[in-house]
Amino acid sequence: MALFILRRVGVMALTALCLTFVVFFLTNLAPNLEKLAKTQGNARMSDAEVISWLDRNGYGGPLVVRYGEWLGVVPGWLREDPINGEWRGRCITRGQNPEGAPRYCGLLQGDLGYSTVSAAEVSSIIGGRLQLTGILMFWAFAVMVPSALLVGVLAGMREGSRTDRTLSTLSIATTATPEYVSGVIFIVLLASSQVGLSPLLVEWGWLEGGTLFFGSARSAMDNVTFWNFTLPVMTIALYGMGYIARMTRASMAEVMTAQYIRTARLKGVSFRNIVLKHALRNALIAPFTVIMLQFPWLLTGVVIVETLFNYNGFGWTLVQAASNNDIELLLACSIVAVLVVLVTQLISDIGYVFLNPRIRIS
Amino acid sequence: MPSTTTPHLATHPAAEMYAREYKAGQLSRREFLVRSTALGLSAAAAYSLIGLKPAIAQRATPAMGGRLRIQQGVLALKDPRTYDWSEHGNVTRGLIEYLVEYNRDGSFSGMLLEGWEANEDATQYTLRVRPGVTWNNGDAFTAEDVAANFTAWCDTTVEGNSMAARMGGLVDADSGQARDGGIVVVDDLTVQINLPTPDITLVPGMADYPAAIMHRDLIGTNPLDHGVGTGAYRMVDYQVGISARMERNPDHTYWGEAYLDEITFIDLGTDPAAWFAAAEAGEFDMTYQTVGEFVDLFSAVGWERSDVTTGATVCVRPNQLNAPYDNVEVRRAILEAVDLSVVLELGMNGQGTVGENHHVCPIHPEYAELPAQVVDKAAALARLQAAGHGDANFTLVSLDDGLTRFTCDAVAAQMRDAGMTVTREVLPGSTFWNDWLNFPFSATEWNHRELGVQILNLAYRSGVAWNETAFSNAEFDQLLDEANGIQDADARREVMARLQQIMQEDAVTIVPYWRSLFRHYRPGVVNADMHPKFEINVHHLGLSA
Repeated sequence: MALFILRRVGVMALTALCLTFVVFFLTNLAPNLEKLAKTQGNARMSDAEVISWLDRNGYGGPLVVRYGEWLGVVPGWLREDPINGEWRGRCITRGQNPEGAPRYCGLLQGDLGYSTVSAAEVSSIIGGRLQLTGILMFWAFAVMVPSALLVGVLAGMREGSRTDRTLSTLSIATTATPEYVSGVIFIVLLASSQVGLSPLLVEWGWLEGGTLFFGSARSAMDNVTFWNFTLPVMTIALYGMGYIARMTRASMAEVMTAQYIRTARLKGVSFRNIVLKHALRNALIAPFTVIMLQFPWLLTGVVIVETLFNYNGFGWTLVQAASNNDIELLLACSIVAVLVVLVTQLISDIGYVFLNPRIRIS
Repeated sequence: MPSTTTPHLATHPAAEMYAREYKAGQLSRREFLVRSTALGLSAAAAYSLIGLKPAIAQRATPAMGGRLRIQQGVLALKDPRTYDWSEHGNVTRGLIEYLVEYNRDGSFSGMLLEGWEANEDATQYTLRVRPGVTWNNGDAFTAEDVAANFTAWCDTTVEGNSMAARMGGLVDADSGQARDGGIVVVDDLTVQINLPTPDITLVPGMADYPAAIMHRDLIGTNPLDHGVGTGAYRMVDYQVGISARMERNPDHTYWGEAYLDEITFIDLGTDPAAWFAAAEAGEFDMTYQTVGEFVDLFSAVGWERSDVTTGATVCVRPNQLNAPYDNVEVRRAILEAVDLSVVLELGMNGQGTVGENHHVCPIHPEYAELPAQVVDKAAALARLQAAGHGDANFTLVSLDDGLTRFTCDAVAAQMRDAGMTVTREVLPGSTFWNDWLNFPFSATEWNHRELGVQILNLAYRSGVAWNETAFSNAEFDQLLDEANGIQDADARREVMARLQQIMQEDAVTIVPYWRSLFRHYRPGVVNADMHPKFEINVHHLGLSA
């Protein structure tokens, strides 16, 4: 088991290395660097000025060397300004004397670098943003998983029944509706004082002005309430819910046809007990993997939902970093994404062993 | 109220001349106020010259205390001299303040200056520093601070320092620094500015958003790095792209009056639909600016509307360094094909007045009326074909923001009507602003300036920092120098007429309309009225008692 985990961590490190190199390569293409120079310096810089700006700010050397600096295996760049003798470098703050400053400052030293778009250290940004996304994900899972399992089990226990057909149709509909469609539909129906449900409720006197739910989750960053968080949570949860419910249904339907279930029925066990005591545990093995797989899916989901509802979490940060070519912030985002994917897969694999005794690791 | 100037000059010869022009109907009240207060008259004295009572005293007094949330972009801060957005100025206005404030009615009043006087031909200004002002680090605010800031504003070697263009003749063209003897500290509370040629734009320049006054030892720094200022507030939290929160500084005795305890700027991106959703969700109390159809929407949900007519516009401009726009016939053909009244209707919902393809607005004092522009789509196409560019594909790039987007759509549609091939490209803010000066054909929002010559100096003089049309014309530059020194509106108008003509003849840019600007705020917010230059003066804001 220890060897298995160790090997998984090794794979994870290798994946992170490859992915960050690809991201580093793409963000350091010449036009992207020029864009960066023009946002950070001056929008009207000439080509020569762009090159000199890039050189002065440590974007000048060979790509592999700079990637090494970011990793922390190559000493950070250091340059003395020829005009005023001021030192500039990766590891020092502007004007600081390079003596006494660390020579290496990269990922291995725990330094994630500087975000140009936020004008702050990456490490000071990414933590808070991840926390916000964590809250959103927690509520999305809290809604999605129990309801999906319930729907899946109800649909799967009597395959082909009216309940099954209805719930299956609903599941397919929600999972076939992407977040950017369902989010907009929710806003129009529930979060506008001009159209949809809210003006009707106001007319009937059930609501005192305003809207039923909020179409912007900005206030949820400080204080999560039912009214400001329902729409973003539902937008994410509905999409995954249909999928998990379909998987649970298939698994449940299969278990219900197994020999031991028939035996239990013949012995006169009540249907309720068969479902709860005999079928449920075995039916949940397959959905468990699917649920863990939903974490990486949710990462893409939050990009859309956080942008749509103006919730400044990890997904929103990723969009901002990508559109502004914020190199070091993007790299940090990539590492986080790799970690989330591989850690959830690791948990899924290990958990599977405990749920299904037939599976052995190594 | 502390922000209104006590009368220093009862009168001024030039101001009396303006008063005569006003009475003869040659100057509007607004123009009269702009020019006479720029000479050092208090608003009250200026009003009295034309026999009116001042309107400025109408600003209400809000209750003390309270919190206000303002929807506005929160941009990365930098050296104030290099600010390039009104938002920069707004977000730091509670911390670092200005010498002079430009009021909604077009007059100027003293902030860190108690008053100022200009000599008869406006070549010498005497600035009288407000006594009793301290920095929040305990230092006294003196004439040395003012002089140091003027010197720094004149430094053309600082990349992106747009104050140098506003200082005009005070900058020595050879050294690129302040002229010797141009800035004289007379005593602790008096600074004298000596200009080689008359300049009437000095005071408006001191009121503009990059002119925030920094501590004499901290010039060139980002105010966030040290938080030293004269203002009543201090920055508690600043997250670019998200929000900025400031609170009343408990360790500082503010010289004036500030009402709110806490002000938060909330960045909701560039999509007005997101602002509206957030407004309905009760996430802020006041917009920075409300645009297009959202003006009616915000009013419909019960928010108070405030508007102001300005010289603000959207210039749809070709860049002359790029082919085929280096050919004047091509540019003329484009201008000839576009009916500006249609652009006003489609781009702005008709919320403004039609422009004339030159950047001087009828509310500017020196505006000269020119013959109406001719729109002839057939002639436009013929002209384009004669220039050999009949099959050119024009790519018109714009920001995805509503106003510039719809305006460009309207312009593109008009060009297509005339038989030209136009591709529209709509970019999100994050991509657009990286390259906005260099798109061959694009649109930019321009804010209101107090005098017509100011914007010409900033945007159309050869080689200046914000000349995005790459327009370069020796005759234009020379005439502009001339106009900058003419005090008399009528005399300047003669030069101005030619300047406006040159802009039309050279087909520099499409100036489709003059905008009315709108802002909305929740009922109960006081002194949040729209400002012609988008200013949010946090020291006036408050909540009703």
